[in-house]
Amino acid sequence: MNHPSRFLLAGLVASSAILAGCATSRGVQNPAGVPVTEMRPDERGFVAGTGIESQDLVSVTDKMARSILGIPQIARAQVPPSIVLDPVVNNTRFPINKDMFLTRIRVMLNSKAAGQVSFLDREMMKTLERERELKRSGQVTASADPNVVEFGGADFFLTGKLEGNTTKAAAGISDYVLYTFRLTDARTSRIVWEDFAEIKKQGLEDAAYR
Amino acid sequence: MSGGAAVRHGSGRGARAQVCRGAIVGAPLFAAIALFAGCAYGPPPDLRTGAGLNGAPRASAVAPNAPTAADQRVPAVPERDRVLVDYRAGVSALRAGNFDEARAYFDDAIVRIGGIITNDAEAARARTLFTAESNKPFIGEPYERVMAYYYRGILYWRDGQPDNARACFRSGQVIDSDPEQKNYDADYVLLDYLDGLASAKLQADGSDAWARAQAHAGAQVALPAYNPAANVLFFAEYGYGPRKYAAGQHGEMLRFHTEDSPTRSARLVLEDGRKIIPLPAYDDLGYQATTRGGRVMDHILGNKAYFKTGANIAGDAALAGAVIANDQARRRERQGKDGDDANLTAVGLGILGIIGKIASAATRTEADTRQWNNLPQRLSFAALKLPPGEHAGRLEFMDRDGNVLESRTQSVRFSVGADDRDTVVFLSELKR
Repeated sequence: MNHPSRFLLAGLVASSAILAGCATSRGVQNPAGVPVTEMRPDERGFVAGTGIESQDLVSVTDKMARSILGIPQIARAQVPPSIVLDPVVNNTRFPINKDMFLTRIRVMLNSKAAGQVSFLDREMMKTLERERELKRSGQVTASADPNVVEFGGADFFLTGKLEGNTTKAAAGISDYVLYTFRLTDARTSRIVWEDFAEIKKQGLEDAAYR
Repeated sequence: MSGGAAVRHGSGRGARAQVCRGAIVGAPLFAAIALFAGCAYGPPPDLRTGAGLNGAPRASAVAPNAPTAADQRVPAVPERDRVLVDYRAGVSALRAGNFDEARAYFDDAIVRIGGIITNDAEAARARTLFTAESNKPFIGEPYERVMAYYYRGILYWRDGQPDNARACFRSGQVIDSDPEQKNYDADYVLLDYLDGLASAKLQADGSDAWARAQAHAGAQVALPAYNPAANVLFFAEYGYGPRKYAAGQHGEMLRFHTEDSPTRSARLVLEDGRKIIPLPAYDDLGYQATTRGGRVMDHILGNKAYFKTGANIAGDAALAGAVIANDQARRRERQGKDGDDANLTAVGLGILGIIGKIASAATRTEADTRQWNNLPQRLSFAALKLPPGEHAGRLEFMDRDGNVLESRTQSVRFSVGADDRDTVVFLSELKR
């Protein structure tokens, strides 16, 4: 190989090295994005944490709904008992939409065991009272005597509590969440049913964030 | 290149040797120019000013076709800076009383910082030699993430969800915990205090959390006992928060600086001075930023800096060797001997030297100094029982001697609801 060719080759190698070095400092991962992936709500997604996630909600509420239907106060009741939902108390470190738990249990019971229980819609009370006043004042028609109190009273209150425990160590972070739900007799204050589910998760973040 | 012209017109061995010498000198020079031209790029844009996000605004770098102020009002936000923008905009919205907007920003941020980040391609690249740490999606240092949860907790409480507020305060304390730095582990006074207050309001036992908060506060500070009947919660903040900067030979060390604010405490004066609510500083973000302990990323950046220095020294040594070999080749050619071997050695060393210099220059060691730049320095809190209706007063800030800083006094108005939901009043010395 003569000298000019040699130096040409050297220049090419050096240029390649330069370009290769510079290329590593730029660039975008997934420039076109990641297509939307439809997943089942009880499936663990590729975006995950140690907190309360949809698959936990589904599995916990499924278990609770099945469990409630098995108790004698519901299964052998002559008249479907009336249940009022009382907000779940979140005692974990994860801020969540608490209403989702009871809403899903209610929907499960109403859709899968229609007629065995009935739920009283206390969220609608203000609207219902306004409607009753309109009927009483004769501003709107009524199919029954609006002066008779027909709003149902609760036989049971269904509520729950989420408790959590967190451990953080060099090996990662671990979160244990205990989900408890209970049905309380509105007349006697006795807890007639209670069940729980527990989920523990742990993980370790990328070193770039530790 | 002059060497190239000599190739076309020169003839004979002497002329060819001249070409070689020119090329030996020219190749590294060309490569060096290409290196600096090719690798030169600026830091990402500052989302507030349009200048460098990593450092101070660069007024001299304004191009003739630079975006106008109107253009900058809606800056393009790189996805990796999204959480940073959420943080800044969220607290600005909170201070402006735009609570829905603040909630949306903090929810967006918490969705991103609340999980466990694994297998993130950009984070993985940030750990490599030739990619800067600031290439990773920003989630902030622990004191920044804690503040996102703290502000979101305030908003939850304002929305009548003290249990979710408590969850936020607990998450903040977990973020601040460090298994290797037990002395400064999860030591925010207010996070534990508010955790306990929320529990007390939810008919649970908040005494453990209160005791932890008191232990963090130290013997000099007597935390008020919980009053579950208190229906107005005052969250106050003052002073300017910590600043990040990159220290070390190659900027590989992340450091924090807090310009101590003249405002050392505050008080709320209501009912024409008949009711004075002290708002002492319970937490100091400057202290929290500097006592968090080291990061794993610090070790990675340290290794990068070590490589950068080593590659640079190796490059220098190889280039020096190339010069010596080239000189040897010229000497042999003057003596009529074959200088090809020395020339080859010079070229080889030159290439190695260039590669070393390139590798050194391309190694990105700088610590990530993107920062939540509108945080306060000090945090305070007070709870009070007030009758429903409109209330007005003034917020006074005091210096270290307890003198009121008159120019900083703010007028305060708030309304207490008649329902059983707590009224949350957010008070800040900072405007945005």
